[in-house]
Amino acid sequence: MEDTSYNPFMMAQKQFDNAAELLELDPATRDLLRVPLREYQFSIPVRMDDGQVKVFRGFRVQHNDARGPGKGGIRFHPQETINTVRALSMWMTWKCAVVDIPLGGAKGGIICDPHNLSLLEQEKLCRGWIRQLAKNVGPLSDVPAPDVMTNSQHMLWMLDEYETIHGAKYPGFITGKPVGMGGSLGRTEATGYGVMITVREAMKELGIDLQKTTASFQGFGNVSQYAIELYQQMGGTPVCVSCWIQKEQKAYSFFKKDGFNLKQLLAITDHFGEIDKTKAQDLGFELLPGDGWLEQDVDLLVPAALENQITGESVNKISQQVKIIAEGANGPTTPEADLVIKKRGIHVIPDFLANAGGVTCSYFEQVQSNQNYYWAKEETLGKLDQKMTNAYLDVSKFATKNKLYMRDAAYMISVDRVAKACKARGWV
Amino acid sequence: MKTQSGSLASPKLIPYVRNANDPDHNIQIIGSGSIGGKAQGLVFLQDLLSSSDLIQKYPQTKVIVPDMVVIGTEVFDSFLEKNNLVRFTDSDHTDDQIAHAFQQADLPFFVLGDLRSLVEEIQNPIAVRSSSLLEDATYEPFAGIYSTKMIPNEQFDPDFRFRKLSEAIKFVYASTFFKAAKSYRNATGHDHREEKMALIIQRVHGARHHVRFYPDLSGVARSYNFYPVGKAKPEDGVVSLALGLGKTIVDGGRSWTYSPAHPRIAPPYGSINELLKNSQREFWAVNMGAPLIYDPIRETEYLIKGDLPTAEKDGTLKELCSTYDSQGDRLQIGMGNPGPRVLNFAPLLQLKRIPLNKLIQELIRICEEQLENPVEIEFAMTFSPPSLGLLQVRSMVVSSDEVEVSEQDLGDPNALAASEKALGNGLVENIKDIVYVIPENFELEKTREMAEELDQINGELVRKGSPYLLIIFGRLGSSDPWLGIPVNWGQISGSRVIIETYQEGLSADMSQGSHFFHNLTSLGVSYISLPRAGKYQLDWSWLSEQKEIQKTKYLRHIELKSPLGIKIDGKAGRAIILKSRGKNG
Repeated sequence: MEDTSYNPFMMAQKQFDNAAELLELDPATRDLLRVPLREYQFSIPVRMDDGQVKVFRGFRVQHNDARGPGKGGIRFHPQETINTVRALSMWMTWKCAVVDIPLGGAKGGIICDPHNLSLLEQEKLCRGWIRQLAKNVGPLSDVPAPDVMTNSQHMLWMLDEYETIHGAKYPGFITGKPVGMGGSLGRTEATGYGVMITVREAMKELGIDLQKTTASFQGFGNVSQYAIELYQQMGGTPVCVSCWIQKEQKAYSFFKKDGFNLKQLLAITDHFGEIDKTKAQDLGFELLPGDGWLEQDVDLLVPAALENQITGESVNKISQQVKIIAEGANGPTTPEADLVIKKRGIHVIPDFLANAGGVTCSYFEQVQSNQNYYWAKEETLGKLDQKMTNAYLDVSKFATKNKLYMRDAAYMISVDRVAKACKARGWV
Repeated sequence: MKTQSGSLASPKLIPYVRNANDPDHNIQIIGSGSIGGKAQGLVFLQDLLSSSDLIQKYPQTKVIVPDMVVIGTEVFDSFLEKNNLVRFTDSDHTDDQIAHAFQQADLPFFVLGDLRSLVEEIQNPIAVRSSSLLEDATYEPFAGIYSTKMIPNEQFDPDFRFRKLSEAIKFVYASTFFKAAKSYRNATGHDHREEKMALIIQRVHGARHHVRFYPDLSGVARSYNFYPVGKAKPEDGVVSLALGLGKTIVDGGRSWTYSPAHPRIAPPYGSINELLKNSQREFWAVNMGAPLIYDPIRETEYLIKGDLPTAEKDGTLKELCSTYDSQGDRLQIGMGNPGPRVLNFAPLLQLKRIPLNKLIQELIRICEEQLENPVEIEFAMTFSPPSLGLLQVRSMVVSSDEVEVSEQDLGDPNALAASEKALGNGLVENIKDIVYVIPENFELEKTREMAEELDQINGELVRKGSPYLLIIFGRLGSSDPWLGIPVNWGQISGSRVIIETYQEGLSADMSQGSHFFHNLTSLGVSYISLPRAGKYQLDWSWLSEQKEIQKTKYLRHIELKSPLGIKIDGKAGRAIILKSRGKNG
């Protein structure tokens, strides 16, 4: 089960150690924050549709809750490991801290492939996960959310099981619910818009006129689509976007020199974010290889697909014109590539800052659900803009003042905030 | 700031910076696109204040353009497009339906953060004002055509203030497609799609008095007087003043109108009694107390009216009023003695403790020089301490065609009407339709019903493309139904010539001074006044003999065989309407 070649938890610890060193943290605080506060590993027996009982392995890791209830998604993945969940829970702690929302970091998962499970089996799995954890999660302690291969339906089953066990309604127990069933308006746009808010602020700061810039995007899913939408609304010109073609099991980049129209592109895209190649060519797009998005002469790169996309090898293909990289995806840049980017002086908006719009809006959903009173979309999105802008400015001011790389500055601010909360509580 | 032709150039504004509190840049922009005519005027005024020596010359009075943020027209475009509101561009939905649909829509995401930040910075009443593209492109005034919404913006909770700002913005956006605006654009030959709306979010210039927030004084000053009285010359200009918010003047309510060259001369009221009856008795203020009723689709949702005793308690009458001495049947300047207070602005205009009149005269002169056109300026003032807030400047249209109407011409036996109090200029030779209020049926308490009937007849004539002569009683376009028929511009948009005449019980004060009136004259609609005791009277019996097209409860629409012969001499202020152009024209 354990993947021995790549241990994301060790990588997360390394990043933390670096920040702890820069902050000169005391040994006790380092010991506390290097490992999760609590971990739950358990079995979930499910009677399958064929009458057999199958036992699944589930996790919940609560890395740190000094700043507030834990927050983090639940992943359904056949290659799920406890180390992945540990790493992700730690990154959630930093992400909540960098946007200064009063939440801690957590993550959960089940080793399974939902493609091979019927809906009924998935429902039993969700309810089984809750039965194991009902006493250890909740609106005041740890609030789950959808993540890889989980969706709003899974969240509703989990909520229902939780409420059945506790005998009352707790819509604030879980986020990512559908609108009208405790979900928040604006959640769909939040991550993509959030990425672009940080880009907008970065350009203001660097004295770049956004309306004269061009950009290239990796991925054409939810994050990328809304990031492009806002970028275009603000007057920017997107020229390239890549997407995964399921049938061919490979990615392509779609390039249009003078810029493309998002609406036009969406009209030839299916709901998985897959663009129709032939129709795109009819619209005047040039078809390039999968990593073509990275090589364009643009001002802004937005990797918004998967992790480890900008590697030690591909980093050298980045054009000299590129001034900003905004990481819409989690961990799109390998540490090796990061060193090169840092050296070249490209302004990086690190992943856990750039894509924190999602968790910020989840927090808003939680607040609304706890009050059982729901805001207008423009109220949610207005607050999102303010949170993200303030978060970006905090990090960039700190980076400028202390002559730091943006990623290091973001880590330092987050770790410092969490460390201070632990100290204030008298834990260390 | 000024192009060679004298019109305003489009300025480049500093983008709004959150929490910057930058006193050097009190005009900023959110979003891109044009900033519209009104905003351009204000930027011009701001530049004028920094470059002229006006501020140094009047050290006791602070002269400012109140802090403002402009929302560019691009935001309006994006708002319409995202919410599919373009469908209202040519629709015949009612104003309320349009306002309601706009309230349901979402503002574009890219302005939300800035707007939230804005209400957190300002905790003072704000006005959301229209600044339209057509105002900018033409000299045609759109004053009073689009809505302005004022909100108290003083609640503790910034979320609440944000919601109210958002509602106000959507309401003003909606007013772009209200009936009056559509009629106005039709009449001025503009396509509805040409119009785009920028907005001005501006601090209301005033002070709080208990639950009311208002300026001590609002005013409109024009450098050209269409209707000079007595010694005054057209070039002397004209100023209208009112207590409280400028809504009183914009709506054509009771205000004090005088010539800045002769500030001591009162308007031509026949007697003190008439002056008492016709001077301003009520004023508008922003309601800072408990809201009266939740109604985001009303312009006046957060406005309240106060009366003179209230203003006296607020301490705002000191520079503005006199007291009626019943024993001497005269007015005494100030409030030294008890008695009815009269808003005649005498302490200000006669005692001149604060040099407002001089300041305004100088301001309009400089603006006129810079813009190479007669100008109109709107302002608001507070007295403790003296602070003059400039709210608008625009060029005026003054006709220059030469038409002469002599005194002898007025005595023509073929005249339907003649007047020595006429505005406008030129010959009008294509009018065969006349709409008039039936004198026997006129009742002051029914003016609202008359407005509705007028709306319907006007609609038909506009559809037919027939310009018409309108004859009414009282002051047209006043929002106060006791002063005359309370129409808005859209309800009479097809008229080319208007005769205001009088009956017993109606105020003799003319429409002039109101924005409504200004819009009419600037669009070339001629205006003829027939005072009750005037030399020339209307030939009512001839009207009643003409072919009737439609008769309603209060109005009659007639059609002539041949067009009227209408001549207006702008210079002399004389007009004559001959019953038939063919015979006498």
